Amino acid sequence: MKRFTSIVSAAFAVVIAAAYVVIPAQPVSAQSSAALSIVPKKNYVIEPGKSVKDKLTIRNLDNQKTLDLTLRVVDFTFTDDGGTPKLFLAEDAPQTTWSLKPFLTIPKNVKIPPKESKTVDMSVAIPAGHGAGSYYSAIVYSSGAPDGGNVGLNASGVTLVFANIPGKVNEDLKLEKFGAYNVTKKEYTFIATEEPQDIAYTLKNNGNVTEAPVGSITLNGWFGSPITISNVNPNESLALIGQSRTYTTCIKLKEAEVDFNGQKTKSTKCTSPGLFPGYYSAKLDLFYGQNGNRTQEIIGSASFWYLPWWFIILMIFIIAILAYVIWRVYSWVRIKLYGPQYKKRSSRRR
Amino acid sequence: MQHKLFRFHALAHPLHHMGMVDLLALVLAMVIFVAPVSALRFQERSLYMNSTVPGETTSYTVSFRYMSPVAVGSVDMLFCVDPIPYHPCVTPPGLDVSNAVLSGQSGETGYTANIQSANHIVLTRIPSVITATDPSSYKFDNIVNPTDTTTSFSIRLRSHASTDATGPQIDFGSVKGQVTQGIVIETQVPPMLIFCVAEQVNDNCDGTNNNYYTDMGQLDPDSTLTAQSQMAVGTNASGGFAITANGTPPAAGTNVIDSPTAPTESTPGANQFGINLVANNSPTVGNDPEGIWTNAVTSPDYGVPNRYKFVSGDVVAYSPNVSLMKKFTVSYILNSRSDIRPGVYSTTITYIASGRF
Repeated sequence: MKRFTSIVSAAFAVVIAAAYVVIPAQPVSAQSSAALSIVPKKNYVIEPGKSVKDKLTIRNLDNQKTLDLTLRVVDFTFTDDGGTPKLFLAEDAPQTTWSLKPFLTIPKNVKIPPKESKTVDMSVAIPAGHGAGSYYSAIVYSSGAPDGGNVGLNASGVTLVFANIPGKVNEDLKLEKFGAYNVTKKEYTFIATEEPQDIAYTLKNNGNVTEAPVGSITLNGWFGSPITISNVNPNESLALIGQSRTYTTCIKLKEAEVDFNGQKTKSTKCTSPGLFPGYYSAKLDLFYGQNGNRTQEIIGSASFWYLPWWFIILMIFIIAILAYVIWRVYSWVRIKLYGPQYKKRSSRRR
Repeated sequence: MQHKLFRFHALAHPLHHMGMVDLLALVLAMVIFVAPVSALRFQERSLYMNSTVPGETTSYTVSFRYMSPVAVGSVDMLFCVDPIPYHPCVTPPGLDVSNAVLSGQSGETGYTANIQSANHIVLTRIPSVITATDPSSYKFDNIVNPTDTTTSFSIRLRSHASTDATGPQIDFGSVKGQVTQGIVIETQVPPMLIFCVAEQVNDNCDGTNNNYYTDMGQLDPDSTLTAQSQMAVGTNASGGFAITANGTPPAAGTNVIDSPTAPTESTPGANQFGINLVANNSPTVGNDPEGIWTNAVTSPDYGVPNRYKFVSGDVVAYSPNVSLMKKFTVSYILNSRSDIRPGVYSTTITYIASGRF
């Protein structure tokens, strides 16, 4: 009995000792590849009672492991005033009013050998009599989770799926903000010490349909000719239902053709518009409206100052010189008007 | 000299006041009496395309409400990419209205269609005063849809008293339309989103070390456990991409090592799990993003050296536009208190790459 007690005590001590450390993970069993290529977005217009049959092309980029994916449909909304989706990943997440889940059919699993691609069928079927509006959900492709380790890694890709059902819809965009925009700080600026490169406008979507407005911005400054931004939504970015979406647009755009995975792609980025310091006014003219619905127009105006530090210092210097010159002229005129006694009187007062 | 200045002042002072008053009166008169009559915008404007399939021949119905109760003899319809009337007109690629036929009209009627070119129609009639208070509609058959699905197009509308759409405009406005993908899509060359995650990945995701977990070692209140993983991402989609980090902080049963919700320095001796995507020296771990393409960036909260954070669902890296492949190194730090509950603390972080809308 004594021996048994000592064995149990020793074993217990070992367990306690082991428990106070993070136990190193065991080698992981074979896991799926986590290198994939997918379609990021799909857009459809589907009339009630009709369906769309499409293909999803998925590529396994790994040269050793099979890509073993689980596919599922989740709803999403907006994260903030940008274009990043907020996915409702929880299994018990409530269905959104704009969910495409009931209408979207995809396979549950896909296995793709190394360095190969596979095309899987998907379909969106809208029942007859369904109301007009925008519906959207996301297809999540999940690779398998690792079996061990303290920090396991998992890669998932997402395809956003949008479907517009044509008909009479409720469209209501309200202009909330408009002006020069600092992309890094994500804020509108009225006085900019660094040259503004972006103009932005924020629209609140109170309708039941996603919107992609088009239009132009005209920028007028004290110097130079007016600058016209003729396409203020070149990416056809959407304001989701209920979202306050901020659209940023470059005052001057630099376009470049780049090679992406063997395909020529046009890439754009903002570049210095060469603004002179001073006051600028901007005019916004936007149009939106779904097929068969009223084309609505939003007009806005804004202004901002571009005052770089060197310009502020120069202005202070010039104002100081002007003040000095005016004071000297004023003194000279007073002396001429009232005679040298004015100067003496002033001196006596002091 | 003094005398001259006094005389100049005496002469100029009343003139100065008179000049100001006169100038003010002149400006007011110009504003009130000489201001030009401005054209009004057509209201309740709409365009219905019977088919939105690119390149298909279909019918368009243009509707709008006239606003000025004056005689109108023509309506100018110019099809352009840009809706703004004073901008240069670029014809929507593929669009052709040269065979358009005016097949129906309601409201203000009596028009015939005078085709000017592949993107220009003038409706003409004997000038008569606008009486319709409801929107007027004009249906055109045999219009060939534009072919570019990536951009919308517009019809610039103007009404004129003349019968040939010349002279001053009366009302104006634009309607917007867009072709979309067809009902059945069999093949297309879509944008791509390329994404890979592992302990080590190649720049182009064409290879990884196939290791998807990290052992961080034994917790010690006097030191920080570190680890790193990599992910590469790129897209030719004009909307760019976003990567979110999803999961729970490391836990052993119900015991969780909490994560700071704001970027925080690593603090040995406190329970802390955090990540960032830049090179750090306290402790030394991680790398700055690799790749020449500047569109893809780390989120501000995860891009501060020696500051760590983890909130499930946060965007850790993104690009607002097309981005060639870029590689991010994720640094993990794990600190613990001396009285931490014993157990195997583990978590799985799922990195989700998505397109942007």
